[in-house]
Amino acid sequence: MAEVRLPDLGETGEVTIVEWFKSEGDAVRVGEELLEVETEKTTFVIEAQQTGRVTRILKPQGDTAHFDDVLARVD
Amino acid sequence: MTSWLGSTDDGTGGSRAVHLPLGREAYQATHERQLRLHALRVQGAIPDTVLSVEHDPVFTIGRRGSRENLLVPPDTLRREGIAVYDVERGGDITYHGPGQVVLYPIIDLRGHGRDLARYVRNLEQTVIDFLAAVEVTAQRRPGLPGVWVGERKIAAVGVHVKRWVTLHGLALNVRVNPEHFAMINPCGLRIEVVSLDDLVLRRYSLDEVVSGLLGAMSPLFGWRIIDQVEAEPLGRRP
Repeated sequence: MAEVRLPDLGETGEVTIVEWFKSEGDAVRVGEELLEVETEKTTFVIEAQQTGRVTRILKPQGDTAHFDDVLARVD
Repeated sequence: MTSWLGSTDDGTGGSRAVHLPLGREAYQATHERQLRLHALRVQGAIPDTVLSVEHDPVFTIGRRGSRENLLVPPDTLRREGIAVYDVERGGDITYHGPGQVVLYPIIDLRGHGRDLARYVRNLEQTVIDFLAAVEVTAQRRPGLPGVWVGERKIAAVGVHVKRWVTLHGLALNVRVNPEHFAMINPCGLRIEVVSLDDLVLRRYSLDEVVSGLLGAMSPLFGWRIIDQVEAEPLGRRP
């Protein structure tokens, strides 16, 4: 099992989850687009770091998150 | 020729960026061009590249934006010849059109500190420094990204980042049609916008503004910017 965490985006503080491109139960491949976050007029795409299945989304669309927060789990 | 492709080393230890002046181009065509250049930048096939363009009238709506901030019916848009596009950048609705300079930097932020907030600040600072050079005092406002002269907005920013390479950028009003801006709540806010022409006596050409912005941008990003005069190899890619 692996955790998908919000990467270090620099001095950027809080981000908002704009959209998940995958749902719980979906298969995902390394490098595939997983979700998009937004902060200060900037949208940022987060790709999967590993291949597996999204088992749990902990920060759904509309939630806010900070650096290193766990956004989802991938098995 | 595509001789500039592939190398970012300017031989002096600094990094080199390429300016691609597009003149006047429809939004969609420039957007497709951005996507092609983004893919090339992700591959490392081209250096940091800055597009400059003046668009035909268009409203674009960012990822979390809403058509509720578009205040006129479709008939009016058709009559005025204004298109509407949903786009991947951050922010809400904005206007592009004649009399506005738009810069789209396609740059790898891994070479610029991997910092989204710093990147947006540098875009804003580009405008602030250029305006200072023409004796206009502009500033940021807390919680309201973009560049402001007093309470009025003169430049908007909106960015999309994928694989740490940027898309979209900044738009500076030089002499825009205020009636077009009045058709929206810019950025989803009830704000006033202003053009450079409203603030200075001299009438700057859009080319002069582009040069001034690039001149302000270079030291902020540590670049030497080279004009890519021969745009054909990129402009005509299938």
